[in-house]
Amino acid sequence: MNTDVIILGAGPAGAQAAIYAARKKVDAVVTGKVTGSALHGTHIENYYGVSGVVQGDDLLNNGVTQAKSFGCTVFDQNVVSLSSQSGLFKAVLESGEEIISKALILATGISRKKLGIPGESALFGKGVSYCAVCDCNFYKGAVVMVVGNESEAATSAEVLTKYASKVYWSADSLDVDGSLVDNAKSAGVELLSSRPLVINGTDRVESIGMDDGSTIAVDGIFIELGGRSSADLAMDLGIMPELDDTIKIGADGSTEMEGVFACGDVAGKPWQVAKAVGQGAIAGLSAAEYVRRKQ
Amino acid sequence: MVTELTDATFDKFTEQNKIAVIDCWAPWCGPCRRMGPIVDELATELEGKVGVAKLNVDDNRAISMRFAINAIPALLVFKDNVHVDTLVGLRPKEDVLSFLNSI
Repeated sequence: MNTDVIILGAGPAGAQAAIYAARKKVDAVVTGKVTGSALHGTHIENYYGVSGVVQGDDLLNNGVTQAKSFGCTVFDQNVVSLSSQSGLFKAVLESGEEIISKALILATGISRKKLGIPGESALFGKGVSYCAVCDCNFYKGAVVMVVGNESEAATSAEVLTKYASKVYWSADSLDVDGSLVDNAKSAGVELLSSRPLVINGTDRVESIGMDDGSTIAVDGIFIELGGRSSADLAMDLGIMPELDDTIKIGADGSTEMEGVFACGDVAGKPWQVAKAVGQGAIAGLSAAEYVRRKQ
Repeated sequence: MVTELTDATFDKFTEQNKIAVIDCWAPWCGPCRRMGPIVDELATELEGKVGVAKLNVDDNRAISMRFAINAIPALLVFKDNVHVDTLVGLRPKEDVLSFLNSI
């Protein structure tokens, strides 16, 4: 489908950007999962106009409902790839649907990468990897496990089947389009509903202890939580992220690439809802103005 | 200047430089592309003191196998032609400089 502005991220920054863009009478599409927001599962009590303790999920769900009420289209899906051509942007969703837009807002937040289980830090680079695309070539003929519930795990598991002799995919709470799961299964991936509790090994990863009591012998474990990282999506467009995966923006929310704006946690600290919605409003307005100038 | 190494030229480079840092990378690796400019800066700052080079692990499998590299970017660090350590992952220039000062 075609739209004026696509917004990657359905958290406070993304929803607020969508609301402001829509109020400026441009078409806006939001993609992302509210469960991917740093606000998911938390509460807030220092946000303007809100008294007492408010659940983060209530704010998130209200934000998406509000964006829809202003006419925005919302996809509960991650974006798996981005590209730009002739001043237009193309986002490919998990389902394979393509969205073409005149402007793009990155409001993806900062990716959580680590599982936080024993053995993970000590064995990083010794069988623990956070980038299947980077490291798949080192696992020819090996047995590997991919961990994650969303699109990045699904695509990583499929990629790894081209190299490894056996690919397990640990997903205890799958949250990804069925087409990506089917692709992975068709490629030979074995889906597990148990999750890792410990990574075993001395000089190298040797096995994974799972929460169902089983131990699975592997040569490597790829931790691919959430959707595609904000840094990778930015690099799809040729925008170089900072070392902490944030994107530099100007006062109007613009990035180094014309037509691309960023807001919220991905645009840097402080990682606060108030700052995210403020930047979201600015990015939404700026993107709408950009679209109008181009018309 | 960053020297481009191959499996064939690797050993000579580590022999000829008292301290050598070799950036193991691949074109498809996003973090490697971000590490590249940092390695370029290191080469300029450390010219005459530390030999800084790059090795494309896609084209040069023997070295990555010899040093058991299975995650990139990875910086192989040598002193007096002895492999001191492998620094895995994208990291700031200051971290690398701090490590080099400690060896």
